[in-house]
Amino acid sequence: MGELEALDLLLGLALVALAWRLLAAPDLFEGIVLFVTFGLLLSFAWVRLGAPDVALAEAAIGAGLTGALLLDARGAMPGASVEGPARLRWPVAVLAAATGGVLVAAVLTLPAAPAGLEGAVAARLEESGVAHPVTAVLLNFRGYDTLLELGVLWLAWLAVAAAGPRPDPRPELRPDLRAEAPTGPVLAALVSQLVPLLILVGAYLLWAGAHAPGGAFQAGAILAGGGVLLRLSGVPLPEAARAAPVVGLGFALFLGVGLAQAAAGRRFLELLPAQAHDLLVLVEVAATVSIAAVLAALFAGRRSVS
Amino acid sequence: MPEPVVVAVTAPLALALAASLLGGRRGRWPGLLAAAAVVAAVALLTRDVVAHGPVRHQVGGWGAPLGIDLFVDGLALLFLWLSAGVGAAATVYATAYFHDDEAAGAFWPAWLTLWGGLQAVFVTADLFNAYVGLELLGLAAVALVALGGGRAIGAATRYLLVSMLGSLLYLLGVALLYAAHGTLDLSRLAAAAGEDGLERAALAAMLAGLLFKTAIVPLHAWLPPAHADAPGPASAVLSALVVKATLYLALRLWTALPGLATAGWLVGALGAAAVLWGGLHALRAPRLKLLVAYSTVGQLGYVLLAFPLLPSSAAVAGAAYQALAHGVAKAALFLAASTVLRAAGGDRLDDLRGLGHRLPVTAVAFGLAGASIVGLPPSGGFVAKWLLLTAAVRAGAWWVVLVIALGGLLAAAYVLRVVGRSLAPAHAGAPPLKAPRRLEWTALALALASVALGLVAAWPLALLEGLAP
Repeated sequence: MGELEALDLLLGLALVALAWRLLAAPDLFEGIVLFVTFGLLLSFAWVRLGAPDVALAEAAIGAGLTGALLLDARGAMPGASVEGPARLRWPVAVLAAATGGVLVAAVLTLPAAPAGLEGAVAARLEESGVAHPVTAVLLNFRGYDTLLELGVLWLAWLAVAAAGPRPDPRPELRPDLRAEAPTGPVLAALVSQLVPLLILVGAYLLWAGAHAPGGAFQAGAILAGGGVLLRLSGVPLPEAARAAPVVGLGFALFLGVGLAQAAAGRRFLELLPAQAHDLLVLVEVAATVSIAAVLAALFAGRRSVS
Repeated sequence: MPEPVVVAVTAPLALALAASLLGGRRGRWPGLLAAAAVVAAVALLTRDVVAHGPVRHQVGGWGAPLGIDLFVDGLALLFLWLSAGVGAAATVYATAYFHDDEAAGAFWPAWLTLWGGLQAVFVTADLFNAYVGLELLGLAAVALVALGGGRAIGAATRYLLVSMLGSLLYLLGVALLYAAHGTLDLSRLAAAAGEDGLERAALAAMLAGLLFKTAIVPLHAWLPPAHADAPGPASAVLSALVVKATLYLALRLWTALPGLATAGWLVGALGAAAVLWGGLHALRAPRLKLLVAYSTVGQLGYVLLAFPLLPSSAAVAGAAYQALAHGVAKAALFLAASTVLRAAGGDRLDDLRGLGHRLPVTAVAFGLAGASIVGLPPSGGFVAKWLLLTAAVRAGAWWVVLVIALGGLLAAAYVLRVVGRSLAPAHAGAPPLKAPRRLEWTALALALASVALGLVAAWPLALLEGLAP
């Protein structure tokens, strides 16, 4: 066994052990911290599997933002706790073990060299307008999926904005976010250093997506992280209800680009190779802004109106 | 101009964005525009399919397996017409249903997005694209349930968790199939797939996920509270349309991939349990909307009864026609029940006495749609059950015949619980009820359509002919 294989084995075992610990955690806070750790380790696993794009997304969204959202939700329900210690329910355990066994057996019968579409993607990469195969699949070859996914994100914002409480119409009665925020020189210095850096990293990931791992989802998540920091330090962000045009921008623009192709006599979302690069950059920028706005609004939604 | 199949999906999505920007009750204008666009697009699509056979559209011009293909044949058209008809009626109903800007402002974008997601599932030929469509319509459905407020928030949360679990199981199967065959296009998979262990495991995971999302017994407990506590037009589209999207995919998978053909009796047994269980609970439900929701659990079971009889053409037609007839009748029942709830301020069955005099149009709508649910001739429900019976007798599956008969008796009993009370004289001093005319007549129009589906059955069934072997 080589060193890397030993590392993979350790990583796999650690993931399973962490998953068990986090399910069995008696305390919600402990569970959330373990969840974030699990997400970070999982992103290492994606790197080892040769999927840096997924690793970036997992670290930024799975571990980072989801962790922040979970901690925020826990803060909103003081006194919430897990119902007693976790115990093994035998019928569920047997069912889960049987399902897992069947799946492992099915995976073992997979052909050694899985039949993928890497060849087909490489053959037509030049027509896609971008040089990174993952971005080409996400935005062009299967851009229709991504368009609908942007719709899902927009809808998540819509649902939260609809379900959340309304802001008090009298501004003088709204809570003073600055007064509530923890103060101190450390936080202020941290925020003033980190937020510009996060904007820079986000912009880099967006730019890199055209030819290397990165892209709108990862960049949007990083920018949203900056929004979360600002919110935590008491900087008022726009209320969720007023964010409608920004939040829907990526979805609307991609849909519009797709329909414009159909109006010009081509198929829906059929981009001319000569225009593909410019149009996709436009779509990616809009999608990044929307993704960042949705993710930040999910975090800020409750606070800005509570 | 974009092709009709593209308009059928993108028009509701684009107009959902418009509704969100307009905000409040003004969202009804994009809503009505979307209804017109969807009906027109489905009509044009029908013309194309009748003239030239099934339509295939390569999104982005790449073509499967690299890109995503859309595919519309007779079976897809039947479900598209269900979605167009019920969706248009629910849209008209909703224009008169919501009073305050806040509820309307949340309803219109969520409903139009849900509609786009539904159409996306009905027209796709790609298994992963179907997953994205399911996510879009599933999340929108949860948002619509949550609009009910109060008790509905809990039901919506449970619905969200169940829906996610079902989606992930489905996705797991899709990933296995892709790893084995390198394509996500259903017709290419059908040509490549065999019947080995991998295919069976993948199909089993996908079907379990889809049936979970369809609320099939014993995975049904989330449905009745979610459908009963949602606002009126939302209840109608949830029960008539949303559960049909997963059922449609299950039917597609089953007819295209042979892996699980021998396990049909298992799905059929689940269907039989659903027919009896849903019927018994509808008999005991204390509230009108809860009764109608339990009836959905039972009526979905009929579609599964067809699975052990597949791929006979009568079984395919019976399953599809049951989905269609139930959808139209169930939407009428939910719209009528919601009108009663609105007008009377409550929907306890004991308070329904004299409904026939107090809200005659709504009571007639409930009776007519109820007749289709029971399967009385000449309704659409009768044709569906007749097709299923024919397929069962031909296959010698007498237990299916028995379940269909028992289910019909149960349905008759619970529909009569409502109709009997509404024909009884009202309590002394019961105030007269008033409801906006548009609410009453939309429900009646759908109820009449559910009966008419029995009279004009030859035409939709001819559309299906192209599909069955």
